[in-house]
Amino acid sequence: MTQQKQAILDRLKQGVIDYDEEAVKEAAQEALEEGVDAYEAIMDGLSAGMGVVGDLYEKKEYFVPELLMSADAMYVGLDVLRPHIKEGSRGERKGQVVIGTVQGDVHDVGKNLIKIMFEVAGFTVHDLGRDVPLEKFVEEQMKTDADIVAISAMMTTTMMGMQKAVEMIRQRNPNVAIMLGGAPVTQEVASLFGADGYAESAGNAVQEALKMLKNLREMRKP
Amino acid sequence: MSQVAALTPRERIARLFHRQPMDRMPFFSGQGMVTLPAIQSLGLRFPQIHLSAEAMAAAATATVERYGFDAAVVPYDMCTVPEALGLRASFYEDASDVLYPTIPAKWGSPEEVTVPPDILERGRLPVVSQAIGLLREGPGADRAIGTWLLGPFTLAGQLVELDVLLKLTMKDRPRVERLLDRLTELIIHIGRAYQGMGVDYISLREMGTGADILSPRVFRELVQPYLRRILDSWQPPRVLHICGATDPIVDYLQECGAEALSVDHKNDLAESRRRVGDSTLLFGNLDVYRLLGQATVAEVGSKVRESAAAGADAVWPGCDIWPELKEENLFALAEAVKGLPFVAERGAH
Repeated sequence: MTQQKQAILDRLKQGVIDYDEEAVKEAAQEALEEGVDAYEAIMDGLSAGMGVVGDLYEKKEYFVPELLMSADAMYVGLDVLRPHIKEGSRGERKGQVVIGTVQGDVHDVGKNLIKIMFEVAGFTVHDLGRDVPLEKFVEEQMKTDADIVAISAMMTTTMMGMQKAVEMIRQRNPNVAIMLGGAPVTQEVASLFGADGYAESAGNAVQEALKMLKNLREMRKP
Repeated sequence: MSQVAALTPRERIARLFHRQPMDRMPFFSGQGMVTLPAIQSLGLRFPQIHLSAEAMAAAATATVERYGFDAAVVPYDMCTVPEALGLRASFYEDASDVLYPTIPAKWGSPEEVTVPPDILERGRLPVVSQAIGLLREGPGADRAIGTWLLGPFTLAGQLVELDVLLKLTMKDRPRVERLLDRLTELIIHIGRAYQGMGVDYISLREMGTGADILSPRVFRELVQPYLRRILDSWQPPRVLHICGATDPIVDYLQECGAEALSVDHKNDLAESRRRVGDSTLLFGNLDVYRLLGQATVAEVGSKVRESAAAGADAVWPGCDIWPELKEENLFALAEAVKGLPFVAERGAH
């Protein structure tokens, strides 16, 4: 890798960490001018920066406002780079995800952060939005044949709907991987509700999803 | 410890806040506290209890009587003030599941929020006022009445898209401050009105500001001044409730000036007790979902005793009670309270 290319990737990464939309936009444009592969710029620049942001959140150096600002900076970079991704350069699509916030809950900040992490990791994301009726998760999974259904709840008072959603999805398709997340959800709750994965934060959601997919594909092998 | 004759629930709550000896530890809440069996015993459905003063008061009374709580608490949902300010609430009236009302579409910027002068006459605020009146005047006047209001930051998050609000705390804080200023005056006004109607205590619920959302520094700079102003303007007894990560901010919470702090299960109650000393009452840290939804009856009693031993001054759920709970667990909770003495050395000053 040339020094110049590495410097551009570093600027993309640092721009996301510093939630500096202008710096990210400039670096993304320069990446294209200098012939840096757009997919590489996304993965090794923007996505790498978001990974650091996730770590900073875990260490309690960053909080939700910082995560949101970094996500905005990342979207600025994605808007510039995404139209230039070459066919075949992104490698194998990792999988499809249906994502949404459970009915009765209109909080979607966490869901949107997880969504962006899935997008940059190469998943195809079907976002149902917030306050989503439970049957809609089932319908969308069946329609898209998504590998993963990711359900979020922000409040204890809405968390209980997740259990029913898991049951409904399982009834129609026992082989789909289900991931739960949100402020009141713990690993214990996710297991109890019959989910396969638990997104503790935006940082670990994708890793957890990849693990779930691996298990799922093992299971599907003849 | 000297024996105290059996008290009425209302006397017990008053004595708790006045740091006077009691016959046993109080059992009450400052959050949503209503159960489906209590609602169904009245022939009502969940959405109905938010919509009329009679149903709201009847559901609160039925819950108190069924489980032996010391206080009835109204309202149940977080949309009363947003509705009075002009937003539409969804009540999920056709849903078969328990779904709390929500605000489906919020304003896009803080400047869109305006406070009408006759706020108490708008939306469902008259329903809440009338429900308090019915509870005060109706049968069972020996139990206490509690009410609550959202804190200004959490209320702002019900009015303006939360991501917009959170980003503005960094991008353009004066715009957030101007909104919080207006909402602070509004909350003071409504709270004073409720106090004038005879509630026995009032909770300020600022649950959107825990250290898992905002940094402790932002809490101290941006949130704490408004909480102090509200609590200073209300009469005692006042409870400040925050859920989520509260360990890093417990000192800031105490500085807000409420007689009691209410926290959820993420709080290390023994450590909080050590930090706040004996001058502030501590409520909560009972994990409502685990305790009332999953635990065995035997676990309920031990968790309640654990929380009391860690420094809780009341048996008080750390969050809204989930209406579809395992009812036997709530009965077990009520039973466990009977064996819990008031901690005289901490409370009686």
